Amino acid sequence: MSGPVRRRLREAAGTLRLTASSQKAVRQRNASAWLLPEDGARFDHRLIEHMRRFDDTEEVDLVVVGCGAGGATLTQRMAHAGWSVVCLEAGPFWDPDTHWVSDEAGSHHLYWTEPRVISGTDPVPMGSNNSGRGVGGSTVHFAGFVPRLHPSDFSTRSDDGVGADWPIRYEDLRPSYERIEQELPVAGQYWPWGDPHAYPHAPHPVGGNGEILLRGADALGLNARVGPVAITNGRFGNRPHCIYRGFCLQGCKVNAKASTLITHVPDALAHGAEIRTEAMAVAVETDPQGRRALGVRYLRNGREHLQRARTVAVAAYSIETPRLLLNSANRRFPDGLCNDHDQVGRHLMVQGAPQTAGRFAEEIRAYKAPPPEVSCEDFYETDPAADFKRGYAIQTVSPLPITWAEHVAAQGHWGHDLRRYMQDYVHWATLGALCELLPLPGNRVTLSGQKDRHGLPVADIAYSQCDNDRAVVRAARATMERLLRAAGATEVITIERYAHLVGGCRMAARPEDGVVDGDLRSFAVPNLLITDGSVLPTQGSANPALTIMALVDRAAERLVAGARGGPPERGRP
Amino acid sequence: MRGQRPPAGHRVPSGESGRRYPHFDVLDQVPDWDPATAATVVGRLARQPDLRFFTPAEEATAGALFDRLLAQDGPPGAPKVPVLQMVDARLAEAQTDGWRYADMPEDGDAWRTTLAALDEDAAEQHGAASFADLAPERQKELIRAVQDLHGKAWHGLPAQHVWSLWTRYACTAFYAHPWAWNEIGFPGPAYPRGYQRLGVGLREPFEAADADPVDPTGGRGTG
Repeated sequence: MSGPVRRRLREAAGTLRLTASSQKAVRQRNASAWLLPEDGARFDHRLIEHMRRFDDTEEVDLVVVGCGAGGATLTQRMAHAGWSVVCLEAGPFWDPDTHWVSDEAGSHHLYWTEPRVISGTDPVPMGSNNSGRGVGGSTVHFAGFVPRLHPSDFSTRSDDGVGADWPIRYEDLRPSYERIEQELPVAGQYWPWGDPHAYPHAPHPVGGNGEILLRGADALGLNARVGPVAITNGRFGNRPHCIYRGFCLQGCKVNAKASTLITHVPDALAHGAEIRTEAMAVAVETDPQGRRALGVRYLRNGREHLQRARTVAVAAYSIETPRLLLNSANRRFPDGLCNDHDQVGRHLMVQGAPQTAGRFAEEIRAYKAPPPEVSCEDFYETDPAADFKRGYAIQTVSPLPITWAEHVAAQGHWGHDLRRYMQDYVHWATLGALCELLPLPGNRVTLSGQKDRHGLPVADIAYSQCDNDRAVVRAARATMERLLRAAGATEVITIERYAHLVGGCRMAARPEDGVVDGDLRSFAVPNLLITDGSVLPTQGSANPALTIMALVDRAAERLVAGARGGPPERGRP
Repeated sequence: MRGQRPPAGHRVPSGESGRRYPHFDVLDQVPDWDPATAATVVGRLARQPDLRFFTPAEEATAGALFDRLLAQDGPPGAPKVPVLQMVDARLAEAQTDGWRYADMPEDGDAWRTTLAALDEDAAEQHGAASFADLAPERQKELIRAVQDLHGKAWHGLPAQHVWSLWTRYACTAFYAHPWAWNEIGFPGPAYPRGYQRLGVGLREPFEAADADPVDPTGGRGTG
């Protein structure tokens, strides 16, 4: 047998092993999908009615700020391990049946729209692809692409002389990636890039947009694969199959696309966690010497409360997490909690996400099927021949009319010109790149002079690109235009965008270089963890949700083990 | 639900409408939508709330600005997508996108400031009392002048951030409306029915073919 044939057989065997394996272990670890109703409703309201409720004065084992990708995963893991957990969420407990609509403008309430200020030479407009609000956080409206980071992402400083090395390796995270991929679950073809791996669900059929990317890649001799998406392809517990409705970014009314509301919250509630909604965190409280976190002060129904806890975890997103630490300044930490080394809020990252659309004589109708369909990671790694370090990934994106109008208007079209262009909607296929922009110390969250409704200073987000950033975005754009033309596009138009904020409280080997260690424990306050995307030292070209959940899965495992082994030691790597 | 549809109102009244999807009406699908979605979308056809945010002077200027940006230039009294009312409601409720450029005021103030600036331009260049008093062609010239400034300042604000504010609010309102979906062949909400015929060139029974597939780019291929 030739090498390629052997490789394909190995891939097929790996896929078969994973897709045909029993779900018993998954269900034992996290029964969320089996705790959803079977009667067509999308959430079992009895779980909320019967939710355990703690008193503020009761010192719980853990209080978590934020119920998104990181916060909900930690809440589930620790409740499952027997800890008493309260998760504070600023937004509501969503009911997919009544609160979510199959409509773009009607989904505005899914996003975090409290005021923020954006500055720098390349300011980052916060679109709907950024943070969320309510139980599930941004996983409610993320597209659902869940690629892993590549092994090379963990050592870009050593290998490429850019970015930062992580205090952990890819291998440390692999078992967590595998566990989370089974729990979401992820559908896709065998993944040939990075650390090659199979997915638990088969790839979805593709719509017109995905077909175009596959066609273009084929014509250019590039690799493209269907997936990886956190969308069920087949039944999983009581979650049904995807119906290819195309409104993934508006909250999945089907329960096919994963959000932590349905993948981790049900099991957390069944294990006695309390998710306290409409609770806006104000500050993390410490003892007078700043040696231990005592709990979290928060506003609810107009009153301030303090939830006491033996351990505190902050998972409020890359902007609100640094903001909360900066707003938690006290005598011991005059410049913000955990900010002894001026690291809080720094090295904020966002992926360059240029979007290129191509015009086809055929009808593409990109609004059908989930926007996340097909990816290409051929340009992910550093290319020694290129004039930049690191790289980019290319994925399908399928703008609905309002988003598409922004794309067209950004070309300068308005008036009759805009209306004519918009009527051509069904003929366009759209690709998006995720470009690895480098972590820079000047890209940071600080407190602005402006205050929000609660009287809390709002975040100022300064962002400026470096030459490497501009070069990688340029290259990605050129590749997308080439792909679309190879697929038969007669015209291509590109707009500049950003996606996916991470960093701002990065993990590091030493306190001088970051805010938390590899277990997500803050260097300054041993019983304070940060469990969201703000801990990422680099971002790769992957959508961050899976990595956030995997990091939290690993941190939770260490936290559970540590509890058995006594109080945590300081200064571990 | 269907009874709530205004009579003979599914076309956007301008020269752009109804050319490519002459018989397509997304509102025929309302019975197939889930109740939450149907209520949201059909609500856009109902009478909109009275203005609460814009002053009368701002109302006149904003109304003219939206009509030009979105080419809603039908005869007076003809039905149109109520963009002015939709934007007014958003601003009255401070329903922003959750961010502002550091060199721009909060959205509500930014709207008031830029509408006043349009009136100033109209006064200075044409001696008019309001931007709304100008002929549509003159209005378009003033709008185009702002667009052409790109990164330069316009009345002390960066013109490209003003342009972004105007077009974002205008497009978000207009393309939220089912009449606009009819014009572009978008079948709107898709729950619980979903889609079954996926792929290039494939249509569901309720999707209409493009009757006049003219390439608006003229196949220029300029990128």
